[in-house]
Amino acid sequence: MPFDLHPRLRTPATALAGAALLAGTLAACGSGGPSRAQTLEVWTYQDASTHIQAEAVERFNETSDVQLELVEIPGANYQERMRTAMGTPNAPDIFFNWGSGSISDFVQQDMLVDLTDTLAETEELRDAFVPTVLAAAEIDGGVYGVPMRGVQPVILFHNTELFEQIGAEPPTTWEEMEELIEVFQAEDITPVALGGADAWTSLMWLEYLLDRTGGAGVWQRIESGESEAWGDPAVVSSAQTALDLIEDGAFGSTFLSNAYTNDGVSTYFAQGRAAMHLMGSWEYGGQLANAEEFARERLGYGTFPVISDGAGEASSIVGNPNNYWSVNAELEGEQLDAALEFLKHTTDDAYLSALVANGDIPGTVGVDDRLDDHPDPEFARFQYELITEAAAFTQSWDQALPNRAATEMMNAVDDLFSGGLTAEEFADTLRGVS
Amino acid sequence: MAGRRRARDTGRPGVLWAVPGLLFFGLFAAAPMVLVAWLSFTSWDGLSAPAWSGTENWTRLWSDPAMHRALRLSLLLTLLSWLFQTPVALLLGVWSAGRQRSRAVLSAVFFLPLLASSVALALVWRSILDPNFGLAADVARWLELGDANVLGSQRGALLAVAFVAAWQFVPFHALLYQGGARQVPRSLYDAASIDGAGTVRQFFAVTLPQLRNTVVTSSVLMVVGSLTYFETVLILTGGGPGSATTIVPYLMYETGFRAFDLGYASAVATSLVVVATGVSLLMVRLTGFGRMRSTREGM
Amino acid sequence: MKTVPPATARPASRHRPLWRRANIPAGAGAALWLAIVLIPLYILVSATLRTREDYLERGAFAWPTSPSVESYRRVLAGDFLTYLLNTVVVTAACAALVVVLAVTVAYSVVRTRNEASRRVFQLFLLGLAIPSQAVIIPVYLIITELNFYDTLAAVILPTAAFALPVGVLILVGTMRDIDEETYESMALDGAGPLRTLLNLTVPMSRAGIATVGVFSALQAWNGFLFPFLLTQSRDTRVLTLGLYDYVGEFRVDVPALLAAVVLSVVPIFAAYLLARRQLVNGLMGVGGR
Repeated sequence: MPFDLHPRLRTPATALAGAALLAGTLAACGSGGPSRAQTLEVWTYQDASTHIQAEAVERFNETSDVQLELVEIPGANYQERMRTAMGTPNAPDIFFNWGSGSISDFVQQDMLVDLTDTLAETEELRDAFVPTVLAAAEIDGGVYGVPMRGVQPVILFHNTELFEQIGAEPPTTWEEMEELIEVFQAEDITPVALGGADAWTSLMWLEYLLDRTGGAGVWQRIESGESEAWGDPAVVSSAQTALDLIEDGAFGSTFLSNAYTNDGVSTYFAQGRAAMHLMGSWEYGGQLANAEEFARERLGYGTFPVISDGAGEASSIVGNPNNYWSVNAELEGEQLDAALEFLKHTTDDAYLSALVANGDIPGTVGVDDRLDDHPDPEFARFQYELITEAAAFTQSWDQALPNRAATEMMNAVDDLFSGGLTAEEFADTLRGVS
Repeated sequence: MAGRRRARDTGRPGVLWAVPGLLFFGLFAAAPMVLVAWLSFTSWDGLSAPAWSGTENWTRLWSDPAMHRALRLSLLLTLLSWLFQTPVALLLGVWSAGRQRSRAVLSAVFFLPLLASSVALALVWRSILDPNFGLAADVARWLELGDANVLGSQRGALLAVAFVAAWQFVPFHALLYQGGARQVPRSLYDAASIDGAGTVRQFFAVTLPQLRNTVVTSSVLMVVGSLTYFETVLILTGGGPGSATTIVPYLMYETGFRAFDLGYASAVATSLVVVATGVSLLMVRLTGFGRMRSTREGM
Repeated sequence: MKTVPPATARPASRHRPLWRRANIPAGAGAALWLAIVLIPLYILVSATLRTREDYLERGAFAWPTSPSVESYRRVLAGDFLTYLLNTVVVTAACAALVVVLAVTVAYSVVRTRNEASRRVFQLFLLGLAIPSQAVIIPVYLIITELNFYDTLAAVILPTAAFALPVGVLILVGTMRDIDEETYESMALDGAGPLRTLLNLTVPMSRAGIATVGVFSALQAWNGFLFPFLLTQSRDTRVLTLGLYDYVGEFRVDVPALLAAVVLSVVPIFAAYLLARRQLVNGLMGVGGR
C-alpha cells in the first residue's frame, strides 16, 4: 500500500494516526491512494454541454499514449467539490473552472501551471482568444487557464407571446421595466422569473443594477481589493432597487423557493407563467433541450434596461467571460506535455464547431464566420454583438472573488433578497469583504 | 479458592484483544476529536498547512452574529423537534404496543420512513414542497392559499425541516415507546381500572410515569439528533432562505467546505462536540448506561 | 431492545369495553399519521410511473393513467448500477469490519476484569457522543494524509469507526448474558481465549452480532456525509451521493429522480421483508448514536 504523507503536513498527530493504520489495523482494507498514473483526470462540470468535452477527450485519447479520463461532476456545488479535491493528493490534473476567484487561491499556492509561455509559443493558441475573454484567467501576471466553452453573457430573456398579448415591447429603460411589472401583475402573470433559492440568480440582478447605477468601475474597485468600495452609494441604491422589485412583486411571491439548478424556474418560464427571465446565455440551450417549442417560437432576448440617471453604459454586460481548463502544477514530463497538448484542442475546428452547434459562442477570435452554424444564428449574432460591443464585461461576482469572500458575499445577497438585511445593512455587511 | 480463580482466568482474553478496535476507533473517531480541537486554534485554507493562530477563531466565534444565529436556530429546531416528535411518538408507540393484528400491520407501515436515507427522503420532500410543481402547489391551489412558498419563507423553511425530521424519526421513537409500553406491568392497569380510571387517566397515571426512562432516552437521542442535523437542510433548503435554516452543522459545512475557512469551521465543530458530548454524558447519567454491568462479573 | 411479553398472555381480557373505547381517539390519531406517512409514499411511487410531461402538467398527486417504467429505465441506463455496486462494497466491508472489531472489543471488555478494560468500555461509551458531522474536517485531513481521498476506503473506514461504539455497546450487553459457568467448563477443558470466543461466545451472541451487522450495514448504506466530502468521481460514488447528484442531472425530471430514490430503497425494503426483526434491532442501534 503506497503510504506517503503529503508533504504539506506531517503533524505528529497524523503521523501517529498513519502509523496506527500501518500497524495493521486494516492493511487489507482499501485500495490505497492512486499515485499519478498514466491516466490523467480531467474534471468538468456536468450539464447539457458536457458531451463536447467528452468527445474532445475521446479524440485526444485516440492519438495519445497518456490517456485522459473525464470526470463529470454534476450539481450546484462543483466549485466546492473541486476546491476540496485540490487540497488532496488526488486532485484533478486538468479541470474546468471560472478563472479569477475560482482559482486564485491555487495560484497563490503555486498549484497551477502558468500557461503564459505555452500560449505565446504554441501556434494553435497564440492570439487565438479574445483578450477580454482571456483576462479572467490572468492572475498576478500569469495566465492560468485556457477558455474551453462559450462566452456566457447574462441576458434578459422574455416570452414574446406574453409581450404580444399585452401589446408591449421588452423594456429598454428602467421606467418601462417598472411599468411592465405593473401590467403583467394585473394580468396575473409573474413579471420576472427568479430562482432565488439559488442565490447566484439573485446576484445577477445586483450585478446589472450596480453596473447601470454606478458604472462598471465600482465593481472593478471592489474586485481589485478595495473593499471599502462596497460603501459606494451606488451599492446601496442598487440593493434598494432590488428590494423595491421584490416589494412590487416583480418576482412573484414564491421566488425564494424557486430553484434554477433543478430547472424549476426555466420550466415555469417556459410554461408562460412568467414574462421575463434574467439568466446566462446557457438558458437558451437548456430551453432548447427541455422545451424546444418554447425555445424556437416564443423565447425572446434583449439587453438589460438603462437606468436614466445612472452612470453605467447601456452596452455593458455581466456574466462569465468563459470557462477555463487549468492544469495542475504537479504534472511533469510526459504527462505535462500531454495536458498541454490537450489544451491545444480547444481551438481546433472540431471542438469549435461542436461548441457553436451546441449554441455556444466560443471565446476565440474570428468566430463570426461560424455563427451560421449556430442552431439559432440570429441569437448567435445578438450575443456576438453584445460581447464584442460591450463597454465593459463584468465577471459574475461570485466567480471573481476568492472562495471565502464569495461565500460571505453570497450569504449577504441571500439575506438581502430574503428580507434579512436592508440595503444599508447589506452594504455595511460587505464592507471588508473582497 | 486460589486454584479455582486460576482456572477461571485461563480462558480469559487480555485487554490486548481490544487493541485493534481501539486503534481503529482511535484513528478515525477519537484522534479527529483531538485534531478538531487543535485545528480550531489554527488558520487553514485546506491548501497550505494549518498555521497556529492562537485563540483568534474562538474570540471571533464568541462574537460572530452568524454563529449566534446558527446556535439559536439549532436550539429552536431542537425544541420544535422535541415538541412535535415526542407527543406523536409517545401516542403512536403506546397505541402500537397493543397486540391487535391491525396495529401490528399499521406499525409496519409507520416504520417505512426509517428505511430510507435522509438524502432520499429529503429529495422526496423537496419534490413535494416545490412551489410550482409539487404537491404543495396543488394543495395551495385547492385551499386557495395563493402560493406554496413553504421553503421560501423564513418560518416555513424551518418548520419544513422540523416536519421532515419528524416524519423520518417519529417511527424510531415510537418503537422505543412501544418497547417501553409493552413492559408496563398489566397489573397496574388492572388496579387503575378497578379504581375507575378511564383511558385518559390510565395513560397519565400509569403509562406515562412508567415510561419515564424511555422518555428520557428518547428525548436525549432526539436532542443530539437535532443538533447534528445536516443532510435534510443541505438538500431541502440549503440553509436558506437567507440564513433562516443555517443551523450549526450547516454553518460548519458552509464555513469549512464552501469558504474553506477550515480553522474557523473547526471551532464551530468543536463547540458542536462540546454540546453533543454534554448532552450525551447527561444521557449516560440519567439512563444509567454506565451502571449496566452485570452482577455476574462481580464488578 | 428487548421486549418482554406482558404477564397476561391475552390482552384486553376483562376490561374489553374500556380498551375498545380507547381505540377511537387513538385510532383516529393513528389514521391521521398513516395518511401523513402514506401520501408522500404514494407520490414517491406513483410519480415514478409517469412521464416528466405528465408530472409537470397534472401535478404531483395525479394517478398514473398510463403507467410506464421509462423513468426506471432511464435511471438504470445511467451509472446507477455502479453506484449500487459501490454501496454494496462499502456496506459489506463496513459490516464485516464493525462485527469483527466489536466482537473482539466486547469480548475483552466482558471477560477481562481489570481497570484497563473498564476504561476501554468507558472510552467507547464516550465515543457514542461524537457526532460525525463535528469531526468531518479532521477526518478529511486524515483521509487525505493517508492518500485515501476519493477511494471507497475513505467512506468505509470512518463509517465503520463511527458505528463501532454502538456495536461494542450492543455486544457487551449480549455477552454479559452468557453464564459464567459455561465459561468455566470451557476453561476446565483447557480452552484458550480464542477457542472460547469462537466456540462459545460467538455462537451464544449470534443475535447481538446480527444486530450489530445490520446496524452498521444500514449506517453504511444510508450514510451521506463521508461520501459527500471524501469522494468525488463516478467510480467511487455511492448511492446516497448519486441521488444527490441526480438533482443536477435529472433536474426537473422528478419521475426519474424519484425512481432513483425508489431503486435505492428497494434493497433495504427487501431486507425488511426478509429479516424484519434484525432490521428493527439494527435500526434501534441507529438511534443509539
